Amino acid sequence: MAMLEINNINCFYGNVQALWDVSMNVGEGEIVALLGANGAGKTTLLNTVTGLVKPASGHVSFMGKSLDGVPVHSIMEMGIAYLPEGGRTFPDMSIRENLEMGAYPRSMWKTRKAGIDRMFELFPRLKERSKQMASTLSGGEKQMLAMARGLMSNPKLCLFDELSYGLAPIMVTEVFRIVQSLREDGITVLLVEQNVKQSMEIADRAYVLENGHIALEGPCCDLMDNSYVKKAYLGL
Amino acid sequence: MSTVVNIVIYGIIMGGVYGLISMGLTLQYGVGKILNVSHGEFLMLSAMTSCVLVKAGVHPLLTFVICLPAAFIVGFILNMTLYRWLRNFSKDEATFESNAMLMSFGLYFILANIGLKIWGTLSKSYQFYSYPVKILGATIIVNRLIGLGIAIVFIIAFFIFLNKTRLGKAIRATSQSTTAAAMMGVRINKTMAICFGTGGLLAAAAGILIGMSFSPTAQIGLTNTVIALIVVVLGGMGSIPGAVLGGLLIGLVGQAVSFFDTSLVTVAYYLMIIILLLIRPKGLLGR
Ligand SMILES: Nc1ncnc2c1ncn2[C@@H]1O[C@H](COP(=O)(O)OP(=O)(O)O)[C@@H](O)[C@H]1O
Ligand SMILES: [Mg+2]
Repeated sequence: MAMLEINNINCFYGNVQALWDVSMNVGEGEIVALLGANGAGKTTLLNTVTGLVKPASGHVSFMGKSLDGVPVHSIMEMGIAYLPEGGRTFPDMSIRENLEMGAYPRSMWKTRKAGIDRMFELFPRLKERSKQMASTLSGGEKQMLAMARGLMSNPKLCLFDELSYGLAPIMVTEVFRIVQSLREDGITVLLVEQNVKQSMEIADRAYVLENGHIALEGPCCDLMDNSYVKKAYLGL
Repeated sequence: MSTVVNIVIYGIIMGGVYGLISMGLTLQYGVGKILNVSHGEFLMLSAMTSCVLVKAGVHPLLTFVICLPAAFIVGFILNMTLYRWLRNFSKDEATFESNAMLMSFGLYFILANIGLKIWGTLSKSYQFYSYPVKILGATIIVNRLIGLGIAIVFIIAFFIFLNKTRLGKAIRATSQSTTAAAMMGVRINKTMAICFGTGGLLAAAAGILIGMSFSPTAQIGLTNTVIALIVVVLGGMGSIPGAVLGGLLIGLVGQAVSFFDTSLVTVAYYLMIIILLLIRPKGLLGR
């Protein structure tokens, strides 16, 4: 059984159906990319996993446990870190405080100092600015802070929603490099992206979502040779 | 000279009380998006209850231990029931905000009338260090200085709570991004109820200070709500330091203007707000 299993999700906003019978899975240790254009339903799918959106039908399970009806505040303690679109750091809290919030559950709070030191090693940029308010950071730095905050809880699975969106090319490369390095720490990643090319370079497998339907799925090496993907997503 | 000192000292004293009330109001709005029109009624009920208790032989400082937890619990329960239901029924945040204000209007009528029913329009007061001292030529009644000291202790304690404790950080995080805070494991409903209760507690503390130095009636609630609203708009909606700064300003301006003409005080407040909002629409420390 896969680490994360999403089965036959149908989801509506009012009368409009945003997801149509979507199924996908992520195996332990994998990097899986969920690709698709703006409005395809990627964020909606992540939100059904984390309990922010209730699907009309379908099931989600994580490491054998059902996530159906589990509230969003319980997701982190189960071992899932969710980085929402735009990071959503706490603007009027310092970088250190933002990281502390990443270890908010009582079971993690006591060891937060060690966690922060670990994050400062992984993201030296943040260490230099530890007392600065998050609102003073650049877009790329905010995204790194959001990643570090998510990693504070020692997650087994990271859900990244559009990490690279709006970042300068140099930062995109840097952020993808860090995602790749998570694999060595045994962290599984579901990478939601519009940046098809770079995502496919680091992911093992990918799903392509179009208008709420899974249009394609498979190992990235196969998809990169797929003529439809080449034409529609890689501009070749 | 002594007049100026008098105005400044009394301005700071009133500023401390206003700061307390307004911190409560701005906390309830900043975290829960509830513009609590019944806020001053918590102050009124606490001021009157504390006076009654002192008359019955309880030490004034001991009434803090009684009124504050009571106000917290009432606020907490109101939020966990009425406001939570309202939140679930409202289709989005903006709808909730206007519904919540209407509900707090309802609570204002209920609480204000409970006060009127019990105490009518008679004022209550008691003697507690009610003799004057001279400071830089000005005559100040001692209980007001004690009140200022207590207000400062509450304000500092509240800042430490918000900035240094786990719960305080969760409260700040929730006010900055509710969704992200929930993702960090913060129980949003509980945190909002704690904030609403804490707002009530701060109003209750201000009420006891008013009972200690003045002669409250069951009608002082709305006046204080309006002052807190003015302070919060001045300081910046949702900003706790803004509430303290705004409270101080309103205290000083109020005392200065009432030296010339008491009836102009409210006019001065609104003038200040209009001018400030023209220069800084988000208030002194608002974002
Ligand atoms: N809160 C919402 N209310 C109504 N419609 C929404 C909401 N969020 C997203 N949608 C719609 O659902 C579809 C999928 O959106 P989304 O999941 O955000 O796509 P993506 O993340 O792939 O860009 C879009 O058509 C979008 O307009
Ligand atoms: Mg999206």
